Amino acid sequence: MVNDLKQLLRDNVSSPPGDGIDLGEVLASGRRRVRRRRGVVGLGAVVAAATVAVVAVGLPGLGSDRAGPAAQRPRPDAPTIRLSDAQRASVGRDYEVLATYTNRDLDAANGQYFDGVTDDGLILFQDGPRDGTRLRTRLALMDPATGTKDWLPDAGLGQDNIRPVQLGRHRIVLLSDNGTAEHWTAYTFDRETRSWSTTDWPGLPRTVELDGAQLGPDGRLYVRSLVRAGEIPDGGWPKQEDGDAEDADAQGDGYHLWSVSLSDGSDVRDEQLSVGAIAFTDDAMLWTDRADGDAGRVHVRDLATGTEHSFDPHLGARCNVLGFTASGDRIVMSEYCGTYGKVRDDRLQILTTSGDQVVTIQDDGVAGGVGADSDVVVADGYRQGDDSGTYLYDLRTNRLLHIAHRMSHWSVGGPTRRNEFFWHTPVNGGRGATWWLGKLLD
Amino acid sequence: MDRSSRDADFSEFAAAAHSRLRSTAYLLCGDWERASDHVQEGLIRVYVAWPRLVRRGGELAYARKAVVSAFLDASRKRSSTERPSEVDSERPSGEDVAAQVSDRAVLMAALARLPERQRACVVLRYFEDLDVRDTAVALRCSEGTVKSQTSRALASLRSMFESASRDELAVIGEGSLPW
Repeated sequence: MVNDLKQLLRDNVSSPPGDGIDLGEVLASGRRRVRRRRGVVGLGAVVAAATVAVVAVGLPGLGSDRAGPAAQRPRPDAPTIRLSDAQRASVGRDYEVLATYTNRDLDAANGQYFDGVTDDGLILFQDGPRDGTRLRTRLALMDPATGTKDWLPDAGLGQDNIRPVQLGRHRIVLLSDNGTAEHWTAYTFDRETRSWSTTDWPGLPRTVELDGAQLGPDGRLYVRSLVRAGEIPDGGWPKQEDGDAEDADAQGDGYHLWSVSLSDGSDVRDEQLSVGAIAFTDDAMLWTDRADGDAGRVHVRDLATGTEHSFDPHLGARCNVLGFTASGDRIVMSEYCGTYGKVRDDRLQILTTSGDQVVTIQDDGVAGGVGADSDVVVADGYRQGDDSGTYLYDLRTNRLLHIAHRMSHWSVGGPTRRNEFFWHTPVNGGRGATWWLGKLLD
Repeated sequence: MDRSSRDADFSEFAAAAHSRLRSTAYLLCGDWERASDHVQEGLIRVYVAWPRLVRRGGELAYARKAVVSAFLDASRKRSSTERPSEVDSERPSGEDVAAQVSDRAVLMAALARLPERQRACVVLRYFEDLDVRDTAVALRCSEGTVKSQTSRALASLRSMFESASRDELAVIGEGSLPW
């Protein structure tokens, strides 16, 4: 007689006890985990100037080279379009405005800002710090439909810089650099008890940087410590015609990855991974080999199974990757690829997490990115001229839209809900700014 | 894909697959309640990835990997906090088990003594009927690792059956142990 292993395995599961799996809880937890992704840190400057403009653009091989130095720019190894290929967005057809707020004179005093949108659609509204607030930052949740503000209890933020990490239905988490850039604190507001708590991480290396911190789908905050700064050539960077340093084709910086709990300061984990820039989608962690320079390869880890793959993103020969964001199965990389004459080669390269090229927006003065769980890439065209202002690229339809022709000198932004976006326009001769929250229409 | 459509499609899949996944999880962890936890966590991960899975197919294989991954993640967490001994002193020895319970209980006790990854190799190869390549994909390791881990696991299982004075353990149709 022999015991058949396969049969014994089957026998052992032939009479299972009652099933303890709650499918409703699976769905609820799954939805929460998807929503949690909206809380992105470090995207502020990128998403800051969202503007909606709509222009339908068919994808491949679009755009025509303009005469002059622009024609000298290398052509990306991807379907390529220009900002001039965008169509002007139309309110009511392409987008709707959900809320606006104007500061008449930010040159004279600090003002009020939109810092993001909660899962239930309220705007995190920041006031100050300024003389009128006794130099303390005040926060409110503002109903975009009515403008009514629910002022939150004082969090004790003082004048420190804050960044929203998570804007949920149940809690709001902000990161503060405590004015030192070496010591961070997470401020968590429980919306049910209306109380604040704080978390610090004494176990984190002091070399960890706030910039680039990302909230993972597991609710942990992922942060990087600088390990190797890219080298500057002997004698410094060459000079451009206008005297600016030409640092295209930089070596890039290498980091070590850590993660921390947002509620337990002793929970600091060495992820034992060398990275450049990092980003998350709902179900994947993505990273480059280096940041702010030649990025190397793009790596993708499936967070459910741990499976990894990597690919060559086919950057231009001189491209520095300055922004690295992702949503769904799309990656958006904001790049500077050199200056030719007086014309910059800036690119917004959009590709899939499998490495397939979707489109590259190449122009003189363009930068941007996509918020977590969003289908809207927000891009700033920051050169003076007809192509300046804020653009949207709709990942669902591949439309490039021009929503505003001018931008203020300030920024606005933070996490938003799907297909919502911020942008800002100047007022009062450029001394003030209007913040806008919009939503892209289907 | 809107949320209601996503939820409906996912629920249909989960209802059809969860019993099988729970059996796999039970063989991995030896406890039905913990098996339910692993399946619940695995299905949550599947839900998050659902739009992509629907486009690419392979939902069940992905769910199986997610459950195994949830089990291995939980094992790592426990090992970092509880520091269990190599053999649970409260657990009956092979001889005790032999005297008291059936062959299938001997197998569960023997499986529990294997390192997690060896146990996963056995369950995926001989319960899920995955080949070496698919097992390697599920466990994120090389095919050579699967072969060596499986070989060690089966040798250990056979040894434990012998120690318990049970009949020889074999995989019918694949020759006798070890492989």
